[in-house]
Amino acid sequence: MSHSVLICDDAIFMRTMLGDILSQAGFDIVGEAETGAQAVDKYRELRPDLVTMDIVMPDMGGIDAVREITRQDPMAKVLMCSAMGQQGLVVEAIQAGAKDFVVKPFQPSRVLEAVQRVLG
Amino acid sequence: MDASRYAELFLTEARDHVTAINQALIDLEHASGGDARDPLDAIFRAVHTVKGMSGVMEYGAITSLSHAMETLLARVRAGQEALTPGQVSLLFDSADALERAIESANPAEGSALDVAGLVQRLQGRSGPDETLPDDARGLQLDLPDGPGVAIEVTLEPGTILPGARAQLVLARVHTLGTMGRVVPDDAEMMAESFTGHFAVRIETDADDEQIRATLTAAGFVRDVRVVRTPRPAVAASETNFDAAWSNEALKAPLQRYVRIDLRRLDHLMNLAGELMIVRGRLAQQAMQHRDPALDDAVTEAARLIGELQDGVLGGRMVPVWQVFDRFPRVVRDAASLLGKEVEFTLEGREIELDRSLLEQVADPLVHLLRNAVDHGIEAPADRVAAGKRAVGRLTLSATRERSAVVIRLRDDGRGIDRARVLRKAQALGLVDVERERLDDDELARIIARPGFSTSDRVTELSGRGVGMDAVYSRIRTMGGLVDLKTVEGEGTTFSLRLPVTLAVIPALLARVGGEAYALPLSHVRETMQRRGGCVRTVRGREVIVIREEVLPLLHLRDIVGLPREEGAPCHVVILEIAERRAGLVVDRLLGREEIVVKPFDAVQGGASCFNGATIMGDGSAALILEVSSLL
Repeated sequence: MSHSVLICDDAIFMRTMLGDILSQAGFDIVGEAETGAQAVDKYRELRPDLVTMDIVMPDMGGIDAVREITRQDPMAKVLMCSAMGQQGLVVEAIQAGAKDFVVKPFQPSRVLEAVQRVLG
Repeated sequence: MDASRYAELFLTEARDHVTAINQALIDLEHASGGDARDPLDAIFRAVHTVKGMSGVMEYGAITSLSHAMETLLARVRAGQEALTPGQVSLLFDSADALERAIESANPAEGSALDVAGLVQRLQGRSGPDETLPDDARGLQLDLPDGPGVAIEVTLEPGTILPGARAQLVLARVHTLGTMGRVVPDDAEMMAESFTGHFAVRIETDADDEQIRATLTAAGFVRDVRVVRTPRPAVAASETNFDAAWSNEALKAPLQRYVRIDLRRLDHLMNLAGELMIVRGRLAQQAMQHRDPALDDAVTEAARLIGELQDGVLGGRMVPVWQVFDRFPRVVRDAASLLGKEVEFTLEGREIELDRSLLEQVADPLVHLLRNAVDHGIEAPADRVAAGKRAVGRLTLSATRERSAVVIRLRDDGRGIDRARVLRKAQALGLVDVERERLDDDELARIIARPGFSTSDRVTELSGRGVGMDAVYSRIRTMGGLVDLKTVEGEGTTFSLRLPVTLAVIPALLARVGGEAYALPLSHVRETMQRRGGCVRTVRGREVIVIREEVLPLLHLRDIVGLPREEGAPCHVVILEIAERRAGLVVDRLLGREEIVVKPFDAVQGGASCFNGATIMGDGSAALILEVSSLL
């Protein structure tokens, strides 16, 4: 059975790219969210195996969303997507409960390795 | 943590460490073989402490530079690399850059200085980190002590966001048991210089293999080393950061001193100054009321205000070593640039001077030091030919002489070439062509003229004809004096006589027209009622004869642009600076008072015979006469 994934990013471009990488690798994209608040709602609704989370998003940022999701489900597996130079935010996200991170620009292999580590 | 609170403390401590590094580098340069151990250790400790502190402050440039220095030093200390003169000079350059980085760093912007080039040069000599054998790695990282096991983790070289990756590893450490201290600390891990090498202590039942597997799964982990027996850390109490703050060497002075923001001190000083003015006004008012109870209260208040002022003034005093300790480096650099050998001695380091004065005197002293090395002290061969030791002697001393601090710079060089200065001065029309010799005072006045230089060559250090006049004018604006003694073939001594503090001076208040003027009492020898008979005219200039001494006579009315009042009663104040004297005619003397000096910048091109103002008891202002400009 393939793993279900929720993709959270405010940019359609990034959602599309991540979706392509993951679906080509056999993952099941069950939902997308454009804001942190949406991410929390969709997580509650869909209970995906994995969440990819952009750090900077409107209406509750990625870090707060991670905090809220892991509060509701301590076993939630969230992979942070960050730009270079956001180390401080990434660390904050890890402290909030994120399980790993990838740095843009994405290399498909890096993304998949990180996903494997999170699910492993 | 809010690092900005520690910025001032960081700056002060880091400066001390840079001074220590420079001092030890000079020792290192002269040391051979086994003697190099102590200076090497001293540099290593200082660099390490700076690195730790800058990590906390998130001053990336300082951290990476000190890290690179430390890595080179670690290899030399471990005997893996011999120290070459090139490396010593690279370390000197690095110490300079470190100082610049420290001075330019601030909590808001961090440390922006570009040190990449130097870091590369330092690394070029010590090799990139990943090629270091384990021993050298151990030197870079002191394992945290405490119960349980120590785990040393090395991330893959080139790991993206190594600080965040380390956090992921630590999150996994957390799942294994109770986590203890981590080195380096969070701030250092977040710094750009973080190499992905860190250690953590943990109390756990997991075996080595479990630990290794769990942590490696965090990704990008190259190596996990579990150390079950605590290694004796390398001088742990001195080298790790937490310990550095509590270490005895730092604690001792911290218990006795509180570091205060200078602006706060200046503010207190201003308030105390205002109080002094109110005190004067209060005393004047009380005199009119003739109430003994009021008089008592005013007298008591006046005494307390005086003591308060003394106390605040004392807070401004700092020992001269805070500036002097940088000079061995200045002399060393100048000497090595010019191929001279100089033995430099500091005396009276503990003498105290007003902080602002000490800061102002630093530049003139640097100029005089360089001048002494460049023009004073001869090349070793010339010295030997003249029957002297090849190594020149340069001594900088501070002494307290009554209400002044005298800073003396003495060299045993060739002395100033009087004949040459005389010829040059005659060529410029500064001195009568018939003169055959200049005394020290005349010499000083000539070399202190803007643009005067006898040097035919221009070196990086001196000879451009700027400088000596700047030295003289700076010292004069500080209310000080420069005295010059030079003997050909034996050397030159510059004495800078400075007031202990700028803020309050005893002064004689005098009046001409409707205005009061303050004459610093340190330059007043005596006062007298003007008696007709003693004023004469010699060669068209007015002079006054006192006890068979003929002194030039000046009129304060002329100086401030008021018409003279012939025949009106007046007083003469005899002003004196060293051997120079003159009489100054004023209308009336108002008495002696402690005045609070409010310095001001002289108007460009205007009369520079005033160097400040003061507010008097009645609220009116009085200009302070700069006596040295009159004599």
